Amino acid sequence: MASKHSKTDIAPDWTGPRVDFARFSAELAARRAALGNPELPRNAGQNRTASKKALLKAITAAGGKW
Amino acid sequence: MTSPYRPEFEAALRLFARVSEAMVARGLSRPVLVGGAAAEYYSGSALMTGDFDICTPWGRALDEELQRADFVRPTGTGQLSRGWIHPDLRLGLEIVASIPMDGNVDADHVLLVEDVGDGASFAIIAVEDLIADRMGQYASGTASDRLDQAQILFALHPAVDRDYLDRRIRQETAGEYGVEALKD
Repeated sequence: MASKHSKTDIAPDWTGPRVDFARFSAELAARRAALGNPELPRNAGQNRTASKKALLKAITAAGGKW
Repeated sequence: MTSPYRPEFEAALRLFARVSEAMVARGLSRPVLVGGAAAEYYSGSALMTGDFDICTPWGRALDEELQRADFVRPTGTGQLSRGWIHPDLRLGLEIVASIPMDGNVDADHVLLVEDVGDGASFAIIAVEDLIADRMGQYASGTASDRLDQAQILFALHPAVDRDYLDRRIRQETAGEYGVEALKD
């Protein structure tokens, strides 16, 4: 999935694999459609740390509805 | 362009990319996106619960850049969190480790997602490592739903590095599973 082509004008510091966001998005959308738009199950959340639970509460309190 | 992503998730990715560029401008490495947000990126499923899990060895510098990007520390019950919140996007962000998966990932596999907006880019854990992480959680017996996540991610990304994926799954599951477990 990673692009073999580097854009030297973008992130010249990066030496690892790259992918263009728009290209990746389009390919993922096509692959999802071909597979019948599968949905990953959401995490049950039983392994969250206290810090994570507090952050999620704060997001909800701020009006976040993810 | 057909996008598989929620608009608010794309907005969060753009913001993360801008913060990542700010880190590079300071001569520091890019933070790496891991966890549920990485799973949403690779799946297009509305999966994450409003927070980005980030790995960086440059926590103090990233904290400074997050503040410059208008992130704030949570108040009220959220003040027990080590994370940050962006009030406009209602996005949380937490530095969960200095390096992904206790350093077990091959750094050469970390992916740069380019040109997310305004030429900004961000780094994300490889899909192979994300799948291996799900399999490790499944094998631990604490998260039975992770096998489904791993199998769907594998189906969505048929061009994965299978040798690397198999090695990483075996590593994360203490040899209990390999890539064949992803073919239901």
